[in-house]
Amino acid sequence: VALRSSLGAQIGGRLSRSALVRQVALLALLIVTSGFWIFFSVAASGFTSDFNLFSLLRFAAIQITIGFAQMVALSIGDMNLAVGAIGGATGMFAGWVMQTLGLPPEVAVLFALAVGLLLGYGNALLITWTRINSFIVILATASLITGAMLIVTHAHPFSELPDSFTSFSEIGIAGLPISPLVLVMLGVAAALFFLYRNLSLGREMLAVGANRQAARMSGLSVDRVVLLTHGLSGALAATAGLMAIAADHTASPSLGSDWLLASFVSPAIGGTLLSGGLVSVPGTVLGGILLATISNGLLLVNIDNFWITVFLGVVLLLAVGLDRLTRAAGGVVS
Amino acid sequence: MARLRGVAPGLALGLLVIDLMGMLVLSVVTPSFLSTYNLFVTGRDLSILLLVALAQMVVLSLGQMNLSIGSIGGLVAIIESGLMVRYGWPVPIALVAGLTLGIVCGVINGVLVDWTKINSFVLTLATSYVFAGINLGITHATPFYHIPSEISSFGQARVGPFPLMAAVTVVLTVLLAGFLYQVVLGRQLLAVGGNQLAARLSGLPVRRAVVTAHAISGFLAAVAGTLLMAQLAQGHPTIGATWVLPSFAGTIIGGAALSGGSAPVIGTVLAMVLISLIDDGLVLVNADPFWVQFLIGALILGAVVLGRTRLGDIMTFLLGARRASRQELSG
Repeated sequence: VALRSSLGAQIGGRLSRSALVRQVALLALLIVTSGFWIFFSVAASGFTSDFNLFSLLRFAAIQITIGFAQMVALSIGDMNLAVGAIGGATGMFAGWVMQTLGLPPEVAVLFALAVGLLLGYGNALLITWTRINSFIVILATASLITGAMLIVTHAHPFSELPDSFTSFSEIGIAGLPISPLVLVMLGVAAALFFLYRNLSLGREMLAVGANRQAARMSGLSVDRVVLLTHGLSGALAATAGLMAIAADHTASPSLGSDWLLASFVSPAIGGTLLSGGLVSVPGTVLGGILLATISNGLLLVNIDNFWITVFLGVVLLLAVGLDRLTRAAGGVVS
Repeated sequence: MARLRGVAPGLALGLLVIDLMGMLVLSVVTPSFLSTYNLFVTGRDLSILLLVALAQMVVLSLGQMNLSIGSIGGLVAIIESGLMVRYGWPVPIALVAGLTLGIVCGVINGVLVDWTKINSFVLTLATSYVFAGINLGITHATPFYHIPSEISSFGQARVGPFPLMAAVTVVLTVLLAGFLYQVVLGRQLLAVGGNQLAARLSGLPVRRAVVTAHAISGFLAAVAGTLLMAQLAQGHPTIGATWVLPSFAGTIIGGAALSGGSAPVIGTVLAMVLISLIDDGLVLVNADPFWVQFLIGALILGAVVLGRTRLGDIMTFLLGARRASRQELSG
């Protein structure tokens, strides 16, 4: 316990050195996002309509949850290339449970989350057993998961999901244009914030990400942290998959195939270090909102969808470039 | 001898045996495997995907990655076919322009990686979206049809069962192997991959090695895109969209280390032959095409897990034992 708390204090000390820089970066992100909101409210007609705000925030909620799944893996210095594969497979699984088995949505949600957790945990088991580079292991399992899903489902979508499930993403809350999916995302965000801020597991994850060797030497069970982290990442990917099929009203076999960039963009904009050891939950939320705002606004001002793709690539480049600057300014060495 | 072992380690021998067994099994189970047309089609797919894998291998040998191989190949195919179809450029000039663009894309990757020190995975993921976005912005997802017949007939040309485009791949593979194993800059590239800090401290031109590797990767991606354009007889915007998995599968199964320093050209060639055999076998037995993705994933895992118990190690162990006994005899 003493070791653990001293490790926590060391990490805490390191964070406080760069804390100011990170607060400023978060504030800058908030200002940039607000700037885009003001700009699009003026420039894009229909941006502030209830309908548009509703779909924008719902889209943002899904993107942010995808980002969380990656952020959790990044926190220990791994990358989860299977976020899209797990999200897609669990989304299809939930569709099968509801449509083919006819079980109630609550059961499907629980099953899907359990499958996501197990798939992520399975990745980590392979990594810790074989000691093979996590990138290669997850590259292979992502392909296995998607391949198996396509073989089993014959790439047929599940498009007759029960109304009680799909309507959950449609209703507004208290007359505001906010989907319940946004509340789900905020709940997940609060839980993750608590995990990284207050729980020893969260601090251990950051310690493993900051310096795996040092964490091991300090007596941390690195393997246990890796297993729990990838399990959590899988469960979050499943959450995003469930949110996406609720919003789309259908579980499609291509679900998740385009999540890779999005999963990195929100955490990277928000100040999560790609090399591990530093995460920002509010940053990821703001990053996802910025991403959704720009995609939505550019579409409304009739900019071609394809150029938005270019734009996202550039945003990711700028985000990781700034990330390096922030790190240099904050004096964080990793 | 040391150099020879670098080119053909024991892993390659194992892959060769598996490949030959695979061919034997396929020709027994489905006699149509040996038909001229099937060999031609399989050889053509192999010619293209091998270049894709080598494009990844040359960057992996540095200890870096290139996720933008597919989008470079796609962008190049679109630019070439656009220049020929829309603007009527002569074929050779359009091809030179396209291949130069591929090199430029690679140089952009290399310079950005070297300059920003950003993780090459994330950096090339970002540039891949930029290249793919430009591709779709130009084409609006509609292909350029009616490319000049010189190109499309080259895509169908064959000598017996051998596709003519295989010649391009063979020449480039030999040139790449020669560059990596014989040319000073190629050796320096592997040295940088082996230990970047040591290479820098020894005064090796690290930046030149990084930019060169990415430029070669971009060039090979561009050639692969051009060949696929010739095969399809159109500049299709989805060219390259599915290349990420095969690019890594071929190199990893072929024995490359993600940490860099190794460039198993022969291993990569044999691994891509294996993947083509699986691909072709599934088509011949009318299997669900989704099995390809599943089996490649299983193959990668199987190869790296087996790689722990290294066929190569067993070979060196046997060779070493023989050498030791010979020394004993001579002593």
